[in-house]
Amino acid sequence: MKRAFRLHRIFIAQYLKKLMEYKVDFIVGAVGFLLSQALEILFIGIIFSQIPDLAGWTFNEILFIYGFSLIPKAIDHMFFDNLWMVGYHIVRKGEFDKYLTRPINSLFYVTVEKFQIDAFGELIMGIILITYSLIQIGADIVWYRVLVLLLLVPFAVLIYTAIKIITSAISFWTKQSGHITHMFYMSSDFSKYPVTIYNNFIKVVITFIIPFAFTAYYPASYFLRGENGLFCVLGTILISSLLFVVSILVWNRGVKKYESAGS
Amino acid sequence: MIYIDNLRKEFKKTVKEPGIKGSVKSLFNPKKEIVKAVDGISFDVPKGEILGFIGPNGAGKSTVIKMLTGILTPTDGKCEINGQIPYENRKKYVKEIGVVFGQRTQLWWDLALRETYAVLKEIYEVPDKEYHERMEFLNEVLDLDSFITSPVRTLSLGQRMRADIAASMLHNPKVLFLDEPTIGLDVVVKDNIRKAIQKINAEQGTTVILTTHDLSDIELLCKRIVMIDKGKLVYDGQINNLKHKFGQMRELAFEMKDEGDISALDYASAFNFDEDDLSVKCKGVQVTVRFNSHKASVQDILKYTLGKIDVRDINVKDADIEEIIRRIYKDGV
Repeated sequence: MKRAFRLHRIFIAQYLKKLMEYKVDFIVGAVGFLLSQALEILFIGIIFSQIPDLAGWTFNEILFIYGFSLIPKAIDHMFFDNLWMVGYHIVRKGEFDKYLTRPINSLFYVTVEKFQIDAFGELIMGIILITYSLIQIGADIVWYRVLVLLLLVPFAVLIYTAIKIITSAISFWTKQSGHITHMFYMSSDFSKYPVTIYNNFIKVVITFIIPFAFTAYYPASYFLRGENGLFCVLGTILISSLLFVVSILVWNRGVKKYESAGS
Repeated sequence: MIYIDNLRKEFKKTVKEPGIKGSVKSLFNPKKEIVKAVDGISFDVPKGEILGFIGPNGAGKSTVIKMLTGILTPTDGKCEINGQIPYENRKKYVKEIGVVFGQRTQLWWDLALRETYAVLKEIYEVPDKEYHERMEFLNEVLDLDSFITSPVRTLSLGQRMRADIAASMLHNPKVLFLDEPTIGLDVVVKDNIRKAIQKINAEQGTTVILTTHDLSDIELLCKRIVMIDKGKLVYDGQINNLKHKFGQMRELAFEMKDEGDISALDYASAFNFDEDDLSVKCKGVQVTVRFNSHKASVQDILKYTLGKIDVRDINVKDADIEEIIRRIYKDGV
């Protein structure tokens, strides 16, 4: 574990050095992200200028859920972004060979190789939205709930990461699965809003099947209202851990199925 | 050191009929076909040997190498290297081997070479002292100093290959797998790389498995070769034996006095040679005759040649490994 962190640090340091070589790319990426987020918030703002609340949630509460949803997403984005490449081309082109010739876990190696600094945009945006909405709500902050919320962040990250691991591992069988990852990942957009606004079908899907609801709505709603604590907190921990274990199993089976490519 | 027993690898392939119609059809009713990439191969390699592992394109060389390096899991059969089974305990196993794929670099594209080595040092947990010693040795053998600060993407192919070999040797592996380490390189760089491989083998006692299409690599580096074709082993033995056994093609080179003299020579009908048994190349007064020495002795050919024309200079060449292997690839053993 200690070695893993040490390696991680080294890779990040190397990544930052690389970043300095491609400064323009970084700046364009970060600005682009901020713009797209700003537009989306503007959009929510427009909706709420017409209606006072949505399924019992006020604008500021929704802003909080929205802001909180960005945090685990950003952390996953920052550390585990290379999984996308597994599904898009690493397996198909046989580039996965190199991850198997090193004495470290292949999944760890793939993820550690890339550090996606653009994700800072998301992270900062999330923090701004959370802070702003909390000030607007003006509610008393219950401190132990802050701790619980912080504790749940890594588990929420795990949900994103596990879904990416599973969907990119599909490429070990099908050679390419980037579009599958994309499809699943996009459904995380549902988690930015209160689950109660959706019909039952979507509710069940994003709670139990692709459990993105646990990455934002459940932890955030517990924090805001303190209701359903057991389901929201334990649910996040259990579902994310379970999903993660499944994802590791799928990955390991996939690696055994890996066929490389002709050279 | 290396034991390979009846190793097999099968791939399932979906057979598609041509065109969009065929693609749609295969989507709903896929026709699977099993391709035997490696079909029961066995051989051993003792410690400290440089083994030439050859075969035509698509013979299954890379598939075997990938199974031996733990990248692919065999469908059937066994391989054991250093007392370990590559695909079973991959992480522990790969610590003791080095791998170079000539077609594909394993270095980090955007990092300076020096940084790459620093990262590898951490991955393989090489102690500082040993690392410096290794770097010194590798620098001496592969002459890395001139480009060690450049990012990998700016290296020339020759530099990159040297860098890749150094990267694979950093942790002092017991076995080094070199998959086409001289591909696309010029003569001088090839020569450097061969010398480096020889030196690594001699000074570190590293066992080397070398695949290549450049048979001079094999002739200069290996005493023994294993040849496979269509997934099966076709030859395993000393190069000298191969020459002896299959070296029926001999070469006679001479210089005629007069350019027109060539018309007086008709080896094909004089010795009853088939098309495969003979090739005559004529360039001005220089003539090269390649012939099957099982059908006609060197002596007879010499006698015939000297009897027909006047010759200024004559020279009989030893069997050429390249020619032998070309024949085996073409006709089988």
